[in-house]
Amino acid sequence: MKQQYDKHRYDVVVIGSGPAGMAAAVSAADSGVSVCLAEREERMGGILKQCIHDGFGLIRFKEKLTGPEYAWRYEQMVRKRDIDFMGLTFLTGIEKRENDFKIAFVNPERGVFEIEAGSLVMAMGCRERSGRQIFLHGERPAGIFTAGQAQDFINLKGFMPGRRCVILGSGDIGLIMSRRLTLEGAEVLGVYEIGSAPSGLTRNIVQCLEDYNIPLHLETTVTEVHGKERVEGVTVCRVDENKKPIMETALFLACDSLILSVGLIPENDILAPLDVDIDSVTKGPSVNQRQETSVPGMFSCGNALHVSDLVDYVSESGHVAGKMAAARVLKREADSGQMVIKKAGILQYAVPQNISFPVNGQVPVFFRPSEASDHAEFIFRQGERVIHKKKLSWLKPSEMHRLELDLSKVRQDGPAVTFELKPEAVNE
Amino acid sequence: MSQRAERELKRVRRKLKKKNLKAVNVEAAGKSIRLSGSAGNWDERVRAGYIAAGHGFKGVINDITVDGITEPEMSLPLVSDEMLDGREFDAVIVGGGVVGCAIARELSKMNISIVILEKEADLAMQASGRNDGMIHPGFAASPGTKKAHYNIRGNRMYTELSKQLDFELKRPGSIILFKTAWYKLLLPIFKARCRKNGVEGSWRSLSAKEVRRVEPNVSPSQKGGFILPSAGIVSPYRVTIALAENAVENGAEVFLNTVVRDLESADGKITGVVTNRGTLRCGLVINAAGVWADKLAEMAGDRFFSIHGRKGTDAILDRSCAPLQRHIVGMPSLLGTKNSHSKGGGIVLCVEGNILLGPTAEEVPDREDYSTEPESFNNLLKQLYLNTRLNSSMIINYYSGVRAASWDEDFIIEPSEKVSNLIHVAAIQSPGLASAPAIAEDVAQMAVRALTSAGVRVLPRADFNPIRRGIPAVKDLTAEARTALIKEDPAYGEILCRCEEVSRGEIRDALLSKVPATTIDGVKRRVRAGAGRCHGGFCLPRVIQAMASELGVQVTDITKKGGDSAILIGETKEEAAREAAV
Repeated sequence: MKQQYDKHRYDVVVIGSGPAGMAAAVSAADSGVSVCLAEREERMGGILKQCIHDGFGLIRFKEKLTGPEYAWRYEQMVRKRDIDFMGLTFLTGIEKRENDFKIAFVNPERGVFEIEAGSLVMAMGCRERSGRQIFLHGERPAGIFTAGQAQDFINLKGFMPGRRCVILGSGDIGLIMSRRLTLEGAEVLGVYEIGSAPSGLTRNIVQCLEDYNIPLHLETTVTEVHGKERVEGVTVCRVDENKKPIMETALFLACDSLILSVGLIPENDILAPLDVDIDSVTKGPSVNQRQETSVPGMFSCGNALHVSDLVDYVSESGHVAGKMAAARVLKREADSGQMVIKKAGILQYAVPQNISFPVNGQVPVFFRPSEASDHAEFIFRQGERVIHKKKLSWLKPSEMHRLELDLSKVRQDGPAVTFELKPEAVNE
Repeated sequence: MSQRAERELKRVRRKLKKKNLKAVNVEAAGKSIRLSGSAGNWDERVRAGYIAAGHGFKGVINDITVDGITEPEMSLPLVSDEMLDGREFDAVIVGGGVVGCAIARELSKMNISIVILEKEADLAMQASGRNDGMIHPGFAASPGTKKAHYNIRGNRMYTELSKQLDFELKRPGSIILFKTAWYKLLLPIFKARCRKNGVEGSWRSLSAKEVRRVEPNVSPSQKGGFILPSAGIVSPYRVTIALAENAVENGAEVFLNTVVRDLESADGKITGVVTNRGTLRCGLVINAAGVWADKLAEMAGDRFFSIHGRKGTDAILDRSCAPLQRHIVGMPSLLGTKNSHSKGGGIVLCVEGNILLGPTAEEVPDREDYSTEPESFNNLLKQLYLNTRLNSSMIINYYSGVRAASWDEDFIIEPSEKVSNLIHVAAIQSPGLASAPAIAEDVAQMAVRALTSAGVRVLPRADFNPIRRGIPAVKDLTAEARTALIKEDPAYGEILCRCEEVSRGEIRDALLSKVPATTIDGVKRRVRAGAGRCHGGFCLPRVIQAMASELGVQVTDITKKGGDSAILIGETKEEAAREAAV
């Protein structure tokens, strides 16, 4: 790997060097094309740098790694290949041209500069929803953090965001931070989740809350923040089935900080001027089985495509996008047609959203159910013809599923293709 | 007391009785009318205040108490030192809002010493930083009021001011949308008012079709409208800071975290201004104390009015919505309640490209109540119907401000009748931002007169520099200019705030400017780091570190907004070390 600032054209440019972007760069380079990996921070690794807990890489490396260890493995893979890494480089605009892209960046060394790319892999990751996006009310003191901010402060900077914390939302980062804060000597009063089920992984509920006796309060939320300068407390309140607070249950909790773990949003704002089709559920681009967006030559992967539970899946999608982005540059064969995959049953979303022809081989399909179900069947069919069926158990919206499907059995001239997730009635 | 005053007092008593406000006492207090006694709730107290207004008294003093409600005191800075003790200034301006800063800038054209005392950790921390940034066209205020007069003059002045002080001003114009076709009957009244007030620009009526043409996403329920092209928008805190910085460049001083505790007087004259940082000598005091102006007047023994806080909440939508709305629009209800002293709110634009909803209006006992609550927020969301393509998921922030309203609902801009070296600039609520430059011109003249008659020789400064340069918004520069700047100083090429594309260089500039940012919010207001859609989620840790290293302080010393608002409470392992030591 070289730091190279004189090249103006690459076959593949990857935006973002988190677990998805690094994997994409590696796979693109392995296809024999020229690759540039652009990163707005100084170093590679993305959010993994601050995830010092373990549990990463069980699928990808068959090992339990910490976030920085996982990132380091990928960084080594990037460094061993002929990939130009540009750190502290911020993407300011993308222009789609006939057969390629013109991408504008800014960095401290070169100022504003442009690079041409045959194809583009968007791996910008996701951001956390803020208190404003869940319409948190009350006063506006210091001491309200997103879980990721708290993680950055403790793990990377060595500072405590609070000593008596309330966690709002049961996303995985919130659960992990409950444990982390406890280990750092802070008191975590509880995790408050407005929904009727936790939104994080079961293993995190067990390992981060139960093992540390941190209470999880479902169907409960924070209705008011108190404290003019620094957080002095919050009002928590049970909610009814419409998620409306039941005011009689309001309870004041004295605390000095409120940590939010209320959801993640794929970061695709830079795509808005290009009119990329965005899936209203995932908030990521709609892609075909090659992870190509509605803009030909632009690929999406990782949490920018859809928020994953496991970094292993993030990297896998990066590898697919990188490989396909390279293939697009090498072959340049036009698609012979596209088909939208319909959703049915209790399917919240599935990626890919489209099939592009010609199709060959097995592709990974990721999906989440829209509601919990003990047993369900995933049915992949074209019209009434069932191509593949798979029985699944213990489905929850908080846990993503992965299946490998053979899309080559889809006939281009056939009727609509459907992914259906059909809940099964269970006899007690 | 004059017979007329007696008669008016009786009328007020009668009205109060009719409204069942029996425990309220009414009396004359100097030239003002004073209410005392008690009311059952805050609304009744408010009702009584308005009943007493408009009876020809100089002011309304409302001292009615409400059972179970104590009006919270003013919040105070933590600092206590002697830094200012013994200092002497010709003009002491109390309050670092837009009015105080505009006056300071105006006075800095003269060869006198000027100081702004602001109790918060930054300028524009109260109403001046918590409004919708609109430069009103001067239509809403009733002809003949101070509001109408200053608004029209101030609106006009903004064009030149924005060039001199390097802040952004846009004039998208505002459209008053008609709810029913009946509103068209009001057009002659609208036009007459425009003429009477002297509203600038080619104001005119628009048919429903014309409205749709200029505002394609407008609510289909509109039945035409009235457009006022001179309506403008600015960033209100940037204007305030720009005014103060130019004043500082011309010799004025600004002291933050400095609160006036008392005024020392002798022979009908203020001789000393007692603060938490020592006692200052002064030639003249200008009361620009916003929601606390009546308390300052009281310290001077000249309390002839009282201020009541009226809270308003605004919401801000993502910058990506910019193409969806072109004008400021509102659809006022003419059947509003009699006591609704607000223009009804609507959609306002922001110079940065965001869309703003607001404001609401709610009387509150706490004049520093900046909380938001679901009920008025949900009312605010109703404004979304004015544009068919906006929705609540586009909201990235919301906040409240408190208007400094008097019961007469007009500005109070006059030299004190009791204290020879005190000028009141009080009850400056909407359209105060639009009016501030004009108010400042008149107040500066009053100040010069007062100083001159006290024997001070006031002359224009030969070296007054009207030009102030702001911090460059690097992302808005041309590629060439941006590259040139970065080659000169690479800090402008390192982006710390990704949503608003703010560089390390701009953040550093905010910390080194004439009135420097000392807080996270101060940085955000000056250069927008953290003002975007992630709400500082990514940049806060980086901005804190940049601030600490630039200012040479501990990371744990950095506050959100001064006082006790430290972001971080200590280092990791500290607690463990403490426990181990025990």
